Amino acid sequence: MRPAVAALVVALVASPVGAESPLPFDIGGPFTLVDQGGEERTEAALVGTPSLLFFGYAQCQSICTVALPRMAETVDLLDEAGLKVRPVLVTIDPARDTPASLKDAAPGIHPRLLALTGSEAALSAARRAYRVEREKIGEDIQGPIFSHGSFVYLLDDAGQFLTLLPPILGSERMAEIALKYLKKS
Amino acid sequence: MMRLLAVATLALCAAMPAHAAEGKRIEIKGELIDTWCYFSGVMGGPESVVGTAHHTCAMWCAAGGIPVGLLAEDGEVYMVLKLAGDDESNGGDTFLTMNNDTIVAEGMHYARDGINYLVVSEVIANEGIPNHTHEDFGVTPGNTIPDSVVDKVLEDG
Repeated sequence: MRPAVAALVVALVASPVGAESPLPFDIGGPFTLVDQGGEERTEAALVGTPSLLFFGYAQCQSICTVALPRMAETVDLLDEAGLKVRPVLVTIDPARDTPASLKDAAPGIHPRLLALTGSEAALSAARRAYRVEREKIGEDIQGPIFSHGSFVYLLDDAGQFLTLLPPILGSERMAEIALKYLKKS
Repeated sequence: MMRLLAVATLALCAAMPAHAAEGKRIEIKGELIDTWCYFSGVMGGPESVVGTAHHTCAMWCAAGGIPVGLLAEDGEVYMVLKLAGDDESNGGDTFLTMNNDTIVAEGMHYARDGINYLVVSEVIANEGIPNHTHEDFGVTPGNTIPDSVVDKVLEDG
């Protein structure tokens, strides 16, 4: 990374913290989906352990290829800091992200990844709850291409929203922010 | 367009709980940018990934879910959480049509974790893309425009 760019990243992420403004919308709510093992999972699956939650799809060639590895690295960094956090992927492409295909893909993303899919209606309800937009913008030879929201959500061990993490942040910075919240909660 | 803006604003207000209305209303001018290419440096320095030079790539990035930012005149970047006209807070295809436009926006500024977030309630003015960086940098990256299109433009003069 060039020094000028590195400086810009620092400018974005290193301004003083504290006094965080609450966001003007609630994030989170009930859902009923299916995990990579074929088991039904509700929002109760997010209780008991803090989570990093991302909406994307396994075939995505764009932001998911950045966000998913960074989310996984962040989980590993938090492990090293003594905090167990579960990475969660909710698919936006249920036609291709079936439980079986997610079972194959999940270990490559993170060994503890909880990958969730479901019907279009059930996933639409989950996206509404977490205020994530999805739009099919075209097709290529591998299938549909989706534009979709890509912020990673940090949830506490009650499944409640703590903060959002832009996927362009490095995993070290994501872990630093997560630690700040999780040590408080 | 104005009808869409009004609908989006109402949707946002309806979702806003009374206890969480903090934030600061601001009016701000800046360019909507592709935050991944701007901050990562993968496509070149920051001056080459704004304006016309990077417009095609920026649209592809927005289409792929890369968050859009507003690069203000003072150099601060605001992560745009919601742009008037989109239904939800996380992502939206309105960005596709406005990336690299220089706009004057009115909205709410939220500072969290040292990061600036912006919820745009109204685009007051849109100057299009006055930042003609292609004159200095060409197209960055060059392969965002298919060779066939380049050939046709050259043929057509």
